[in-house]
Amino acid sequence: MSAGASNPEYVNARVRSRRASLFSDEDYRKLIRMGPSEIARFMEETEYEREINELGARFSGVDLIEYALNRNLAKHFEDLIDWADGRLYDLIARYLRKFDVWNLKTIIRGIYTDTAPEDIRTDLIRAGELEERTIDRLLETDDIEDAIEVLYGTIYYEPLTVAYEEFEETGALVPLENALDREFYENLLADVSGGPGDEPQEGPEAKYIEFLQAEIDFRNARNALRLARSGADLDPATYYIDGGVLFDESELSRLVGDYDALVDHIAENRRYGDRLSAALGQLREADSLIQFEHALDAALLEYADTLSSIYPASVSAVLSYILAKEREVENIRAIARGREVGLDENEIEEELVIL
Amino acid sequence: MTEIALTELPAFVETASIALQNNGSAAMGPEAAQNMADGYGAAAAGIAVGLAALAAGYAERGIGAAAVGAIAEDDDMFVPGLIMTVLPETLVILALVVVFILG
Repeated sequence: MSAGASNPEYVNARVRSRRASLFSDEDYRKLIRMGPSEIARFMEETEYEREINELGARFSGVDLIEYALNRNLAKHFEDLIDWADGRLYDLIARYLRKFDVWNLKTIIRGIYTDTAPEDIRTDLIRAGELEERTIDRLLETDDIEDAIEVLYGTIYYEPLTVAYEEFEETGALVPLENALDREFYENLLADVSGGPGDEPQEGPEAKYIEFLQAEIDFRNARNALRLARSGADLDPATYYIDGGVLFDESELSRLVGDYDALVDHIAENRRYGDRLSAALGQLREADSLIQFEHALDAALLEYADTLSSIYPASVSAVLSYILAKEREVENIRAIARGREVGLDENEIEEELVIL
Repeated sequence: MTEIALTELPAFVETASIALQNNGSAAMGPEAAQNMADGYGAAAAGIAVGLAALAAGYAERGIGAAAVGAIAEDDDMFVPGLIMTVLPETLVILALVVVFILG
């Protein structure tokens, strides 16, 4: 944790300015009609200029776009962590550990498939809290067990050691990846809320917790719907993440068996029912899970936006920027990939999450 | 009734100071009492301005931080940032009025 007083004013001013430079609906409409190289050229005239120029010599086409997006994302989020002090740092880093988890997964997968460290490196998004040095040391290891040893002292060490035994038995990476995800989500709410009933009732932190709970709930809902839809014979409890308000563990196990009851359960929830009603209606009729997942993303984004106007000088604005930026990166990637495989404009538009 | 009371006031002050002198705790003539009142007035004005300045400083702390953030992102924000930062300074100017009233 970083020492010193919290400095939400400074971070907010910078974040809001950067938020203004995100792509607008207008830009997306233009992008949808472009091919990959045109998109790259378009990006060169915006925010992404430096990344495109740096990577332009090594990559081209969709790869160039993808790496430029990742690098830009990492740059911005790294800045956030640099700027923030005290409590604010703690709250931001907590959420950005998501990228640590992503990086660790990528590295473990890389080691598992004997990929060259240089190739793994290009796929990393260096936006998390793990230090550059740790990541470099991780890349040098060629054994998953050694990699876990390198992580000694971080929050990931213990869950990974436990999961490693399972990995040795089955030879599948799933336990390791689940352990990482679970550790991330469980740490999201640790220390902020003293457990149910002991949460801050009002103020920015209460809203922050509400937001994180929504994130966990949506993750649970998504997993449950996928399980219910695919009819896979998996124990839902292994995927259950604690800390949300939408399901408890037994409810989830019961509902996964019954798709309609599951949708009803989400619709009846007081906190999310209204907000998701349109998407739930769609889900019942068209049963398009992808549309629903996009609706969840959009709901989360909108939620974060509302929060940032309720408490202007708090962590909320930063959070809403993080989400908006992630969304932008995902949208551009979807457009580029979509154009590459020759989807038409309407199909791509359906893949985008635009408010 | 009031008139009588008012005219008797100097006499009262005199008696009071004589009483004080008799007690021996503080020797203070009417002039000294006036000086003391002036001193208290100055101290009160000082506290008023000081507190106002402290409050202005506290307000400027947040605004200044935000202004520097904005300037770091965009150089054109320098002038608006500067103006916003010194706005709470009006508090101190208003507090300065107290000095003239009491002085």
